[in-house]
Amino acid sequence: MIKVDGLTKVYRVPKKAPGVWGSIRALVRRAYDEVRAVDEVSFHISPGERVGFLGPNGAGKTTTLKMLSGLLVPTAGAADVAGHKPWARDTAFLRQVTLVMGQKMQLLWDLPPRETFELNRALFDLDRAEYRRTLDDLVALLELGPLLDRPVRNLSLGERMKCELAAALLHRPAVLFLDEPTIGLDVRMQVAVRQFIEEWNEKSGATVLLTSHYMADIAALCPRVIVIASGKLVYDGPLADLVLRHAPDRRVVVATLRPLTAEELAGAAPFTQDDGRLSALVPTAEVKAAVDRALRTFPVRDLTIEEPPLEEVIARLFAREQELEQERKRGVVVAGRAAAGGSGSGNRGSGDGSGDGSGSGNGNGERPSA
Amino acid sequence: MSALRHAVRAWPTLLRIGVAEMVAYRAEIFIWFLTATMPLIMMLVWDRVAAGGPVGRFDQPGFARYFVATLVVRQLTSSWLVWEMNEQIRSGSLSPALLKPMHPLVLPAAENIAALPFRAAMLLPLVAVIWLWRPEMRWGVAAADLPLLVVAVFLAWLLNYLTQVCFAALAFWLQQSSGLFMVWFGVWVLLSGYAFPLELMPPALLAAVRWLPFRAMLGVPVEIASGLSSGLGALAAVALQLVWCAAVGLLARAMWRAGVRRYEAYGA
Repeated sequence: MIKVDGLTKVYRVPKKAPGVWGSIRALVRRAYDEVRAVDEVSFHISPGERVGFLGPNGAGKTTTLKMLSGLLVPTAGAADVAGHKPWARDTAFLRQVTLVMGQKMQLLWDLPPRETFELNRALFDLDRAEYRRTLDDLVALLELGPLLDRPVRNLSLGERMKCELAAALLHRPAVLFLDEPTIGLDVRMQVAVRQFIEEWNEKSGATVLLTSHYMADIAALCPRVIVIASGKLVYDGPLADLVLRHAPDRRVVVATLRPLTAEELAGAAPFTQDDGRLSALVPTAEVKAAVDRALRTFPVRDLTIEEPPLEEVIARLFAREQELEQERKRGVVVAGRAAAGGSGSGNRGSGDGSGDGSGSGNGNGERPSA
Repeated sequence: MSALRHAVRAWPTLLRIGVAEMVAYRAEIFIWFLTATMPLIMMLVWDRVAAGGPVGRFDQPGFARYFVATLVVRQLTSSWLVWEMNEQIRSGSLSPALLKPMHPLVLPAAENIAALPFRAAMLLPLVAVIWLWRPEMRWGVAAADLPLLVVAVFLAWLLNYLTQVCFAALAFWLQQSSGLFMVWFGVWVLLSGYAFPLELMPPALLAAVRWLPFRAMLGVPVEIASGLSSGLGALAAVALQLVWCAAVGLLARAMWRAGVRRYEAYGA
C-alpha cells in the first residue's frame, strides 16, 4: 500500500549572522544552509497495517508524512501510495488518503463541525446516502452527537480532535497519515482516540501510519514501528523486538516481610535496598535465576518483574543514534564497529558519557532489512 | 470535464458555507465595506470642484453618478484573497485545502461571491442617501448595454481575483507578499478610475492607460454603468477585459503551480 524508496528532502534554510550588520548582509546576499530533513528513507507498508513512526523532534517524521500525503515534493527518491505518486496529487490519490495533523485544524473555526463535514462532502463529491452512513458511523464511534451543532471555537481541544478525525475520514480513505493525533489531549481522551483508530482500522481495513510522542499510543496501536533519527531510518520492525534490543534488562522488585540486615544485604548483590524495597536490574536471560535466588534467600512478601517504560527504551535508542551521528560527524573511524559489535561498550568511547551505560552488549546491527 | 461537473455539483454547498461564514464574520464584512468607501470622499471633493462649472463632461450630478457607480462596482468586484492566502501559505494552514480533490482557489472564490448579497444590502441605503442629496443624478445605462454591464462587472471581479492569485502566489517565495500588493494597489487607485474618471487625464497619458489592466479591473464597468461608454466602444473595452483575464489567468496558473511545488507546509 505504501512503498518508499530512497526518499530524501533537503530544505534550504536562510542563514543570517546575528546583529544589524548580519541583517543588512542577509538583505543583499542571502546565504543558505542545506538541511537534510529526510535522508534516503526506504520502507514498505502492507494494506491494513498499523505502523508507528517514531523519532525525536526534528527527526523528519512530519516531513516524511507530508511527502507521503502529497504536500511536499521530495528532493530525491520515490514513493508509491495506493498506486499513486503522492506529490502529483491527482484526484484519485486524494480520495484515498487523509492526513490528520494534531496541531493544524481543517475545521471551520466559527461554524459548527457539521458545516465542515458538509463542505468535505461537496469537496470530495460524496454520494449523499453513503456520506450519511459514514457520518452516522463516525458519530456513533466518536460520540459526536452533542457536538455537531456547536461552533468549533466553543469545543474543547479533545472534542475538536474527534471532529477533526471525523472530517478526515468522511471519504473513507484507504490510507491514514496521523501526525500526533493525541497531542495535548488528556489521558481519557487519548484512550478514546486510540480506541477509535484501532476500531476504524479493523472495520475499514485502512492502512495507518502514525506518529506520536505518547508511547502509550504506539504500544496500543502499532505492532510495527519505524524509527528515524536525523532523517535516517534506524529501525524498522516489531515493537517487541525494539524493546528487547534496546532494553535487554528487566527490573526484579522484591517486597520483603522485614527489612534486611546489613549482613544479608552485603550478600544480596545485584539486589540493592531502597525505601524498604529490594530491586535489581538484570539481563532478560538471567531473570529466572535472579527470581529463584530472591525466593530462596529473602523473606519475600511480593515479587514483580518490570519492563522499563517504553519512553525510556526509545530515549535510549535516540541517545545512541545521536552518539553515532556525532561519531560520524567527527569522522571517527566506524569501520571497526561491526567487528567490535559484541564486545561490550568499548566502541562507545567517543561518546560524551551522557548515555546511561546500560546499552552495552547489544551491538547487533540496527537496521534489519525491511 | 468531470472536474467541472464536480465543481458545478459542489457550488451550491460552497456558496451556502460561504454565506454561513459571512454571517459569522459580519463585523469583519462591515469593516471591509468601510475600507472601500473612498469613492464617497472623492465624490465630495469633485462635487466641490464642479460647483464652479462642469469639468470636462462632468457636472455635479455627473460626478455623483460616476462615483456611485464606482462605489457599487468596487463593492461587487473586490476580493480579499491575497490577505488570506498570504497568511495561509506563510503559516502552513493551506495544507488541508491542498489535500482536497478540488482546486484550493475555488472555495475562496465561492466565499467572495457569497459576500455579494451582504455588500449589496449595505450599499442600498447609502445609494439612497446620495440620491436624496443629488436628485438630478439619473440612471445612466441604456437597456441594450445592461447585459454587457453584467459581463463587465463579472470580468472585473475575475481579473481582480486572478491578480490577487498572482500576488498571493508570490508568498510561496517571499513569505510576505501583501506588502507588494499594496504597492500595486497604490498604482491601481490612480489608474483604474477609482480616484477620478480616467477621461480627465491628459490625452497622451490616457491613450496608454486605456490598455493597462487597471481600467479593466474597475473603469470599464463603471464607465458603462454611468453611461460614459456604450455600444461598440463598450464592447471593445469588454473584449480587452477578456484578453487581460486570459493573460493574467495563464500567469496565475503558472505561478500557482510553481509555487505549490515550493510549498513547505510550515508548522504542519
